[in-house]
Amino acid sequence: MEPVRKLFAWLLWLWLSAVIAGAFLYAPLAKGFIGQSSRILFFHVPMAWVSFVAFIAAGVWSLRFLYFGRQRRHDRAAAVAVELGLLFGVLATVTGSLWARVMWGAFWNWDPRQTSIVVALLFYGAYLALRSSLEDRDQRARLSAAYAVLGLVVAPFLFFIMPRIMFSLHPQSVITPRGKWRWSRAWCRCCSPARPAAPRCSSGSTT
Amino acid sequence: MVTGGIGWVVAVNLIIWTGLFLYLLRLGSRLRELEKKP
Repeated sequence: MEPVRKLFAWLLWLWLSAVIAGAFLYAPLAKGFIGQSSRILFFHVPMAWVSFVAFIAAGVWSLRFLYFGRQRRHDRAAAVAVELGLLFGVLATVTGSLWARVMWGAFWNWDPRQTSIVVALLFYGAYLALRSSLEDRDQRARLSAAYAVLGLVVAPFLFFIMPRIMFSLHPQSVITPRGKWRWSRAWCRCCSPARPAAPRCSSGSTT
Repeated sequence: MVTGGIGWVVAVNLIIWTGLFLYLLRLGSRLRELEKKP
């Protein structure tokens, strides 16, 4: 690994460690959450976002593969993005279930949020199954790229629309069911997470 | 450090996330190696 990349990797690891320590040892507990359960939001919400962004990135790489020269590296980038999306999607589901056990009394409630992320994981799990079922490299790249492009419609629907058109126990979001940005909550989350007196800090995820 | 205490949770989290971090670094270097192939 070249020196600059190595330095950034170390800095990133230090940042990661500081965030973990800060989430457990520094950040105050949010109102409206049982016990220490609000601390999981420092991990659960970013995991869900990383998962979504990775799925979208897979779709974009696939579009580039299909329309810009069929370069193999674009296909590989899409496959890696789906793997990462699945990894972080599973982590978001597990952390969400742990939180649900504390707040709702059960690990699994078939809440629209839980159901939609499971459907998303199944959708992208099928992407990997599709890849592994095709031996011809070009055919595999072409078909899986077309499938991942379909994900550009499926992922936003499952992550953002489906949980908003059905009743959900999940904490309210920064983005409202009408698609409007709730500035007071956004301010609360982004700029003053460590202030106990900040407005409306008691609920919410940002996905 | 008391088992189940907040320090314990921090330690377990650090271990898990460091493992994930190393896995992602390995994934990145594997991808770069693939990039070099024609």
